[in-house]
Amino acid sequence: MPIKQSKTRLIPLILVPLIFLLSGCEFKDIDKDVFVSMMAIDLSDDEDKPYKITLKLYVPTSSFKQSPEPEYSYITQSGETFSEAIRLLESYSDKELEFGHSKLIVIGEELLKENKSKEILDFLLRRPDIQMISWLAVGRPSAEEIVKMLPQGENAAYPALFNYFDDIGTESQYIVTTYLFDFRRRIGENGIDPILPIIEINKNKSHFEINKSLVLADKKEPHELSTVFTGIFNMLSGNAETADLIIKEDGHYFIAKIDSMNTKYKVTVQDNNRIKIDIEVSLIGFISESQHPLETQNLSYYNQLFEKYEKKILKDFFNEMTDKGYDPIGFGIDYKSRTLHNTRMSNEEWDEAYKNAEINVTVIPKLKSTGTIQ
Amino acid sequence: MSRYYYYLILINMVANIIASVPTILLQYHKDGSVSSMALAVVTGTILVTIYTRFFNAFPGMTLPDLLMKTTSKWFYKPFIFFLALMWFVAGLITLVTFIFLLVRYLTPEMPVFQISLLLIFSIIFGCFMKTERVLYTIELILLITFPLILFIFYKAYTSKSIEWDFVKEAALYVNQLPNVNSFASCFFLFLGVANLFIFNRFFTKKQNFKWMHIAFIGIISTLTLFTTYFIPIGFNGFENIDDLVYPWITTSDSLRMEFFMIERVLFVFLLFYLGIAFLSILIHWHVSIEFLKYVFKLEEIKFRGFNLGKYIPILFFIAVSLLFVRVMNEYKLFRISIYFYNTLIIFFPLLIILFFYIKRSMKNADKAKQN
Amino acid sequence: MSSFETIIWINEQFKDTNELVQKNLEYENKHIVLIYIKSLTNFEMLQNLIIKPFFEMQTEQQFNIYLQALPQFQEVESKEQLVLEIMNGNILVIIQNEYYLLDIRVSNNDKVNSTYVETTIHGSQLALSDNLETNLNIIRSNYHQSSLSIEYFVKGEVNKHKVAIIYDKEKVKSDVLDSIRKRLKKVDKQIITSTTQLNNFINDKRFSLFPQMIITERPDRIVYNLAGGKVVLLVDGNPQSVAAPVVFFDFMTSMEDNYHTVLISLFLKILRYAGLFLSLLLPALYVGVTSFTPEVFRTELALTVAGSRVGVPFSSFIEVLFMLFFMELLLEASIRLPKAVSATATTVGGLILGTAVTEASLASNIMVIIVSAVAISTFVIPVNEMAFSIRVVRLVLILITSVFGLAGLVLGFFVLITYLVNLDSFGEPYLKLYTASKNKESSGEKA
Repeated sequence: MPIKQSKTRLIPLILVPLIFLLSGCEFKDIDKDVFVSMMAIDLSDDEDKPYKITLKLYVPTSSFKQSPEPEYSYITQSGETFSEAIRLLESYSDKELEFGHSKLIVIGEELLKENKSKEILDFLLRRPDIQMISWLAVGRPSAEEIVKMLPQGENAAYPALFNYFDDIGTESQYIVTTYLFDFRRRIGENGIDPILPIIEINKNKSHFEINKSLVLADKKEPHELSTVFTGIFNMLSGNAETADLIIKEDGHYFIAKIDSMNTKYKVTVQDNNRIKIDIEVSLIGFISESQHPLETQNLSYYNQLFEKYEKKILKDFFNEMTDKGYDPIGFGIDYKSRTLHNTRMSNEEWDEAYKNAEINVTVIPKLKSTGTIQ
Repeated sequence: MSRYYYYLILINMVANIIASVPTILLQYHKDGSVSSMALAVVTGTILVTIYTRFFNAFPGMTLPDLLMKTTSKWFYKPFIFFLALMWFVAGLITLVTFIFLLVRYLTPEMPVFQISLLLIFSIIFGCFMKTERVLYTIELILLITFPLILFIFYKAYTSKSIEWDFVKEAALYVNQLPNVNSFASCFFLFLGVANLFIFNRFFTKKQNFKWMHIAFIGIISTLTLFTTYFIPIGFNGFENIDDLVYPWITTSDSLRMEFFMIERVLFVFLLFYLGIAFLSILIHWHVSIEFLKYVFKLEEIKFRGFNLGKYIPILFFIAVSLLFVRVMNEYKLFRISIYFYNTLIIFFPLLIILFFYIKRSMKNADKAKQN
Repeated sequence: MSSFETIIWINEQFKDTNELVQKNLEYENKHIVLIYIKSLTNFEMLQNLIIKPFFEMQTEQQFNIYLQALPQFQEVESKEQLVLEIMNGNILVIIQNEYYLLDIRVSNNDKVNSTYVETTIHGSQLALSDNLETNLNIIRSNYHQSSLSIEYFVKGEVNKHKVAIIYDKEKVKSDVLDSIRKRLKKVDKQIITSTTQLNNFINDKRFSLFPQMIITERPDRIVYNLAGGKVVLLVDGNPQSVAAPVVFFDFMTSMEDNYHTVLISLFLKILRYAGLFLSLLLPALYVGVTSFTPEVFRTELALTVAGSRVGVPFSSFIEVLFMLFFMELLLEASIRLPKAVSATATTVGGLILGTAVTEASLASNIMVIIVSAVAISTFVIPVNEMAFSIRVVRLVLILITSVFGLAGLVLGFFVLITYLVNLDSFGEPYLKLYTASKNKESSGEKA
């Protein structure tokens, strides 16, 4: 077959000049790259250069067993825009900055109060090498401090902060995990508001504390959710798989460990642009701690106490949300998914209706046992 | 119906998930995309049925063979040349889209020229094969890449982060009139059957194409369109979805495989899609070169005893592709895709008239032979 | 031609060698002339079959009939054949212008070998021998069909070896058989000593990377090949047989698949294919990931790789080639190691390729692991010919990845598949997935 023969003669002729291309293109070894682990974005003191970016870089060690202490290096730069700051940062490091492995972006609390979330988002999205599955968080008092701290017990293989948000690490009900794509879609939509976890450092500067969250809304101040309400939010949105709920009612004080929960909600429109939100929460679990001894035969009574107490807390939560007009759970998009687009209320009407919404909460408690002792 | 036929249709559908079709659909997401999709499923399935039944009546014959028998040289030579051009442009659009994707996401610092050369040369090698070998290649590469792509879709559907409320909201825009551009891009998915113009050469036994097969194609196409349009909305929200340049790339980047070696699904998706795009461009350019073989007698152009005739259209393809990559930017590519797809929705239904004419001529010729 | 002239002519042909023995025996009116070559003749048989009965029988006539009745008797057709057969070890008996050839050669190479290249755990461990007759014996006793046909050729201008084509007349594809016969007739090389040389000469491609015929020494594989319709070639003096036409999947099946249960064979098959992909793609993947897109793998893995490359002076591409070069040298040298040195060589290889290279930071830890994994998985492929092809293709893929990155790797792999699909082995497509309904007859080929 003459084609094949002439082709096989052509192939070395083509390949040899291609090898000369090796010198100039993209071939960059991994030890000339430095990986960025986290980014911190703060409000800087400089008026002209409002954004201060801190990058935490991995320093690779040849053997994790020999040197288990982690090593990082930090570089900081202020700039008028993000790209300007990043470009200057690239000249500070002797190796090429690789953003492909940066998984956490911490934003300073001050910066969020300036209502610049849309610009931050634009920068993060436009670059193709920042992962859409990066986590976003708020740093208190400033992002730079959070990023620079090394807690006890961190080893060189994996930064401790990642484990808070990872599903593999700790799974507390008080930690909200927000991915970048989730943040983006919530900011753009009108029916659901973005929520970010707040990272703080404890007084001894030995570990992080992440148990509060911040809800952002358009044209409003960010609103902070307390620890209890953050837990409630996680429960309702299905992020938490297990939860511990405290019940303080009628002289009893016990803690129920819930290992399976299910939330259903529905938005119905009544006349005059008034809406009614029906929420049904079913909680299945058992009692894990109690201040007074409990008796198994009174389980249904304990269930009633549970229901009453939870209902009160849930109602408090929703009232706070609707009074201030924040909607992190997404009742707005639930409404939109049930009505045709040309029969819907406009966004302003929805905001009004949401403020005056009537909320019905039903709690279905199913405590199965009092634990191993009574 | 032989399984190779389904491969032809499937590749065309799947290859466009990452190309311009979802971008076009999502641009008009508030403007009638959903109803266009439904309409396209119906009309597309009808078209597929008509084309397949027509070709089943003439097993083993390609469209140029039939035209040579029934029409005059003055008609079919320019017509087939035009068909060759159209198939070339279809492959070219996929090629340029994928080159841009590779340069953007995989190797940002490599010169565009180099990546284009890589892709073009890989495909050129395959263009010279015999038709049946192309089908075997398709089967093998699909076997390797398709299960992984299905796995990624499965992960997308069962992910915790997908918000079905957005999907429901998008679906409720169904009561709008369909939009021409959206309809054209959905319709393009079904045009894989037009590759039968040349590939019918392989199906030399009489095939049957009954209701079950038609329903199967209908179901597959509905699922594909559903996935193409609604999954990005579920992950990226409804309002701002038209901001995304490559919606499916962003969507696959939002998936996370926690327990596997590769965490960003984007790269897996991109590399395996490279396989499917490779197959799609291979099919289109193979058909195009086969058409050109009918128009010009390429085997007879000799130069010092070398059979150079085959290489002339290849050089032309390479030159035009490189020029295209140079000249194009994303917006121009987008608009050209829209114009191209819009032309196709007029062209292919018109061909049905041609089919009737051919069928009647062949029947008359048969009758004349018998008498 | 009278016998006297013939004898002179034969002596003329053999005048350069002093091994030709001519015996004139005369006794009691019986007169025969024996012509044979000393080093080829089995003296015991000569004594028992010819000389003793000659002296014991009464008349020449009786001796004539006796000779014709012997099983070693062969018809004489031409003068040239006489010379050829004498050189083959036959003895020429001339009785009054009648020529008789008797095959009493001594064969020292008819011991059946044990399997050397293709070993299995279960099943027979005996392979073919060096002698063509013994091999035909083995094959015929394993394949009891009357349609088994054997055709003989004589090839090699200088050493004139016998070549046998074996096929099952009912199952073979006739166009393949014709094509092989035609090509075999065209072969006009000087020396043919082995079937593998025939492999090269029968194919019309000079630069093909992948084997077009399958070489095997096991009788059970030959029997499967015959039952599947393949044509088997054997050359005298060589224990390997060659079968054609061949499909890619033939190279990946081992005879063990038939001896285990279905699930275990499936597991082993998957293991083999995984080994094939690993040995082909892993070094190129390493080059692509470390030098072009380190973001592909998860963070912990990327950090480990970056950490293990600390201090290595070469770029990853050179490192990979360097380690692979050493590995190939080791593999090639271990074929020819004398037994006394083999232990030293393994130690040296292990030490060099293993610890010392990492300690001296000439290569990274991960590279050593990759190279060992690649070395082991190359030999998971049951038929060795394919393993050699894979080694070359691996190098090509590394080269392409070094220039173009991960996209180059993926596209290079697809181009490889395209190339394989395009290959033909005597008219059969080389790489094609068969389904049970399509090709019932070639399901025997897959074994």
